[in-house]
Amino acid sequence: MGLEEALDSLEEIVQLLEEGKMTLEESLDLYEKGMTLVKLCNSRLESAQKRIECLTGELPPDLS
Amino acid sequence: MTQIFTVTELNQRIADRLENDPRLHDLWARGEVSNYVHHRSGHRYFTIKDQGSAISCVLFRGNGLSLNFELKDGKNVMVFGDVAVYRPQGRVQLIARAIRQDEGLGFRHLQREALKKKLAAEGLFAQERKRPLPLYPERIGIVTSPQGAALRDVLRTLGSYPARIILSPAQVQGDGAEESVAFAIAALRGKADVIVVCRGGGSTEDLWCFNSEIVARAIFDCDVPVISAVGHETDVTIADFVADVRAATPTAAAKLAVPDVEKVKEDLRTAQVRIMRALWTALERKEERLEYIQQNISAKKMYSLARDARQRLDYLSQGLDAAQDKKMSDLLSRLEVAEGRLLAVGPLATLKRGYAIARTGKGLILQSEDARPGEEIELILWKGRLRCRVLECRDDEEETA
Repeated sequence: MGLEEALDSLEEIVQLLEEGKMTLEESLDLYEKGMTLVKLCNSRLESAQKRIECLTGELPPDLS
Repeated sequence: MTQIFTVTELNQRIADRLENDPRLHDLWARGEVSNYVHHRSGHRYFTIKDQGSAISCVLFRGNGLSLNFELKDGKNVMVFGDVAVYRPQGRVQLIARAIRQDEGLGFRHLQREALKKKLAAEGLFAQERKRPLPLYPERIGIVTSPQGAALRDVLRTLGSYPARIILSPAQVQGDGAEESVAFAIAALRGKADVIVVCRGGGSTEDLWCFNSEIVARAIFDCDVPVISAVGHETDVTIADFVADVRAATPTAAAKLAVPDVEKVKEDLRTAQVRIMRALWTALERKEERLEYIQQNISAKKMYSLARDARQRLDYLSQGLDAAQDKKMSDLLSRLEVAEGRLLAVGPLATLKRGYAIARTGKGLILQSEDARPGEEIELILWKGRLRCRVLECRDDEEETA
């Protein structure tokens, strides 16, 4: 799942939870899903290794 | 005999020759201004050029005060002044004492304006065509020179944002630059979510390829949004007009391309707090409901419900009893009546009048033949019975006879 997709569903979950129209089971379910997404996004942001590719395959030495 | 000069001596000699030539004094030169710099000191440095050649010019602050138009790149001017040699660099330059505006703008500038008009008419600059930049791009295409400072600025600014960076190298100045940039843009088709086309600062000539039609069309044909950042803030090229977003510098372009990682992390923290709070609120709401329900099913309430039920039961059963009683008394009175009537027609009433019922073990005695002399018979009276013995059996006929 991409960062954007993850953030989108996270936002959706927050809204649903805040509307508070669900059963307790559903709320707990969503809560769990939301926290997993938070973790996913954070780990994606943390594990940020820039991957630089060059279309001609020749990167200047100081970049590769 | 060959004379050997030091560099200083040589430049001095050249300077002497040129600066003492009366034909190189009080002259007018005509050309297009480029590389114009208005220095902090108040002096202005620029180049004037025509199709074939260029020469540096200086307009010192004092002489610049009488300037009655805005000097800038692309302007066609007539410069009045003297030729001099800048000795530290052996550079021949024109010391301007007055500058007049030549009619019209420079040729290249005119060309550029014509192209701009044409592309605008075709809708290449249309505002409604501008696409929004992706919020969280996964692949960032960069079109620039691998050797340029612009690339380093961009990479530094992208920082730790987690995205693949795809460099599409291009020659960004000189012969063939237009084609190279256009090709590098086209090569990113299908490979990026957003494209940054950039180049560091340079002279108007250096940036010229970004004013070409082929680059403009390459940007227009891009399958994803393009951010352009060519030269410095003041340089605006045709590429900038076509691009979906124009950034003042390559650094600014990189900032536009990706979200601020710290900001995203902050948003994540906020989302986390909101989720937890929402869950707590949901729990509290359920708890409140539970309490409400609990209150409604309290023991007191149950007792009162039970009491009500009992009362109703009592009431109902009372009614039932009353009904039952009435039925009983009805039955009793009916019984009494029936008894009376029975008595009236029954033998007892007759017996009361003095009759008796005579019978043997075989049955009632209705005629003399029903009993034999000496046989024991029973007489049932109104009250009590008699056991008797038959003395004689006689027909009524016999008696009469």
